[in-house]
Amino acid sequence: MIRKELVAASAEPLILSLLDRGESYGYAIIQEVKARSGGKLQWTDGMLYPVLHRMEQRGLIKARWGESDTGRKRKYYSLKKDGKQAMQKHHEQWSLVHKVLSGLRKEQYV
Amino acid sequence: MFDLEQAIIAWRQQMLAAGIKSPVPLEELENHLREEIEQQTKSGRSEAEAFESAVQRLGQIEAVQGEFEKIPRTKDALHWKFLEITFGLFASVFPWCLYRTVLHFKPGYLADLTPGQQTSSVAAVALFVLLAWSGRLGCKLLPLIRAKRTRDIATVFCAAPVLLWWIIFMNCIVPRHDFDMGQLTVVILWGFITPAGAVLGLSWGIEAAARNESAAFAS
Repeated sequence: MIRKELVAASAEPLILSLLDRGESYGYAIIQEVKARSGGKLQWTDGMLYPVLHRMEQRGLIKARWGESDTGRKRKYYSLKKDGKQAMQKHHEQWSLVHKVLSGLRKEQYV
Repeated sequence: MFDLEQAIIAWRQQMLAAGIKSPVPLEELENHLREEIEQQTKSGRSEAEAFESAVQRLGQIEAVQGEFEKIPRTKDALHWKFLEITFGLFASVFPWCLYRTVLHFKPGYLADLTPGQQTSSVAAVALFVLLAWSGRLGCKLLPLIRAKRTRDIATVFCAAPVLLWWIIFMNCIVPRHDFDMGQLTVVILWGFITPAGAVLGLSWGIEAAARNESAAFAS
């Protein structure tokens, strides 16, 4: 399992990156993150919604109410222009952290 | 026998008691809960097990609510708060200042107001306060105008006749009469201040009616 601090820090870049692929809703976002991380990155389901609402208020994403195929009401989220920019910043920063970590790891084995 | 719908109703009550607002985000959380239950029952769990597990996965209600409370107010909500304070101050402090400075009957020319003029002046200011606050307090009785633009137009339509009346009052009525200071005070209060209370009350009430409705549907 991944530490909760890292789970919390990665929530926004992950949500932004998922929504960059197309609009989605809370349950599907959680399932996709779970599947992509092999179940190692698990959010407390209810905690996703305050994150989504905060991102919506910051103007990174927008929401609309729609219906599922079975007629159930769903709140769909999609990326806004500011969200796309924020996502690119996140990618740069996380890539930098990854690069530094990889470099240090390589040095250990030299 | 486990009744899923009853269990969800009871869960909703718990969420509301914890401060989770309805319809949003409660509806969203309920939809999530139902999707999780559906997935779990598809994979062979009983409805009772699926419900228990889905509720647990959502996490501690208080913690979720705590996170929602951390979300800063929107600019729009802050703007309305500012407007409410401005309207409130104008409807309370302004008449109070008026009373203290003009109608306090301290020595000076205003002390020359006759008892009848004093009563009339106080009545005009009191009516201003009443009209202004009745708009806010009785906003539920006013028409609900959802579109901001239409609300602005309605406010202008409320204010325009009063503005016209002020122009006529100052340019045509007052100059034609030879009022002494006492009379002029009373006339200005009734002709100027009291109609302003009606406009203030109407515009405040129309805005409050719309904001109260949108707050009920906002997260």
